[in-house]
Amino acid sequence: MSKKMLIEALRCNRTPRAPWFPYACINCAYLLGETADRYLQDPELIAKGVEAAAKRYRADGIPLVFDLSVEANAVGCELSWWPDNVPSVATHPCAQMVSPRQLGLKLPTKDSGRWPVLLEAGRLAKPRLDALDCAMVGLYCGPLTLASHLAGVRIFTDFYKNQEFAHEVLEFAAEVNAVSAAFYAELGCEVIGIVDPVASQVKSATFREFVTPYVQKGIQVIHDAGATSMFLICGDCTKVMEEVCTIGTQSFAIDEQLNLGYVRDMALRHRVGFAGNLKLTLSLSLGVIPPREDALVSLVAGGTHGFVLAPG
Amino acid sequence: MLPLEEILKKLHDAVVGFDEAGAAQAARLLIEGGYDPLEGIMHGLSTGMDTVGALFKQQEYFVPEVLLCAEAMNAGMEVLRPHLQASSTRTLGTIILGTVQGDVHDIGKNIVRMMLEIGGFDVHDLGNNVPHKKFAEELARTDADLVGVSAMMTTTMMGMRSLIGMVRETKPHVGVLIGGAPVTREIAKMFNADGYADSAADVVGEAKRVMAAVKSA
Repeated sequence: MSKKMLIEALRCNRTPRAPWFPYACINCAYLLGETADRYLQDPELIAKGVEAAAKRYRADGIPLVFDLSVEANAVGCELSWWPDNVPSVATHPCAQMVSPRQLGLKLPTKDSGRWPVLLEAGRLAKPRLDALDCAMVGLYCGPLTLASHLAGVRIFTDFYKNQEFAHEVLEFAAEVNAVSAAFYAELGCEVIGIVDPVASQVKSATFREFVTPYVQKGIQVIHDAGATSMFLICGDCTKVMEEVCTIGTQSFAIDEQLNLGYVRDMALRHRVGFAGNLKLTLSLSLGVIPPREDALVSLVAGGTHGFVLAPG
Repeated sequence: MLPLEEILKKLHDAVVGFDEAGAAQAARLLIEGGYDPLEGIMHGLSTGMDTVGALFKQQEYFVPEVLLCAEAMNAGMEVLRPHLQASSTRTLGTIILGTVQGDVHDIGKNIVRMMLEIGGFDVHDLGNNVPHKKFAEELARTDADLVGVSAMMTTTMMGMRSLIGMVRETKPHVGVLIGGAPVTREIAKMFNADGYADSAADVVGEAKRVMAAVKSA
């Protein structure tokens, strides 16, 4: 296990092998025989879970949690909890086209929402992961996905119909992102990632106007802290790959639907690290494609220059 | 009075151009011209959404554009629906729709609902994050022909398998269609679903096919 190798690869340097970064979260609960909802609300369990996963999978990096509801909950969105999944965001305070400022939504503090649990979990987990030479990765919900949590589905049509409102929501989301980045930086996360799955569902012009500007504050915080930045995007983001490569993070991670050879060429052209591309559904979940075979395909395609093996 | 073909093109273009006012205006022209509103729905609005579906597959249109097109289609529907004859509202079948338990994403499912309604199905939309029990209750209440279930996430998609199993056990004559971002035809086969639609544009045809298959079984 080598956090240094992970960082080197994410910064688009050559490494002796591809580092391995499993996105274990609820899987950590499973390893401990716990339900997801109990696991995610107990800092001791989270610390124990990430350590267990890092050991079992011999990870070079592991997320503290991979849960996109944290930021929304920290500013007042209610959650639905599940025994076998991360919580889902149940309420959208800005859905009636009332901006965060008009609603009086406050930026999170260390006492907001689930931050007390996560910060304690991080404090406990960090030395355990250091002992394993495994990077602790802080992942936060990116601005567009967070905006969809705040405003609901309407945010998509607001890009056309109510642009001022859309920008207001995204400005607030960007501020919330900067807070998350700062919290993870303070915990000592070597890598901090922005996870924005919704960003694959918009065209490139929309991405450039409504995503790129609003990730910058968070990226600045990450880089000022000396951490390595990453942009994680789910879904078929082929049409916005150029924007992903130039968004300003040092690396990115993509979905299993993308061709890793194509992604590699784009990443290396732009001199950014890239992570992928194990098939979460067909390989890891359903075993239709043998996971070993799937891993070999990714390793061959990804190479050892700027590549990190990770789920797609 | 404009020829029917011209009005149908206006309806189609208004949907593709996500022009709500244009769709409503073209729909009014259709009614004022004395034409069959069902024509406007099937060969104007619906063909417009078929084009939108193709643009989505080609990655020219994305979720925002598709939603806006659906709003334009709805604007046209609002004008035409009150003028539909009772005979032309005969349903092809009844379908229960919902997003699988744990999944709150419903954009695609909502567009599917619209397409199925336009396509002549009686749709009972249970919303998102629907527990298996609620599907079962609605099945018992409606005696539906089909169940349509979607998922946006790999993790929630896994719940489809047990839902399909539940339907097979309790209502073996009911067809099940699945769809959503992580779902593929291969997965639909693995989960023993009767049908799979990879976009809203395909769902009406697939629903008809599954209904015919289930009825002849």
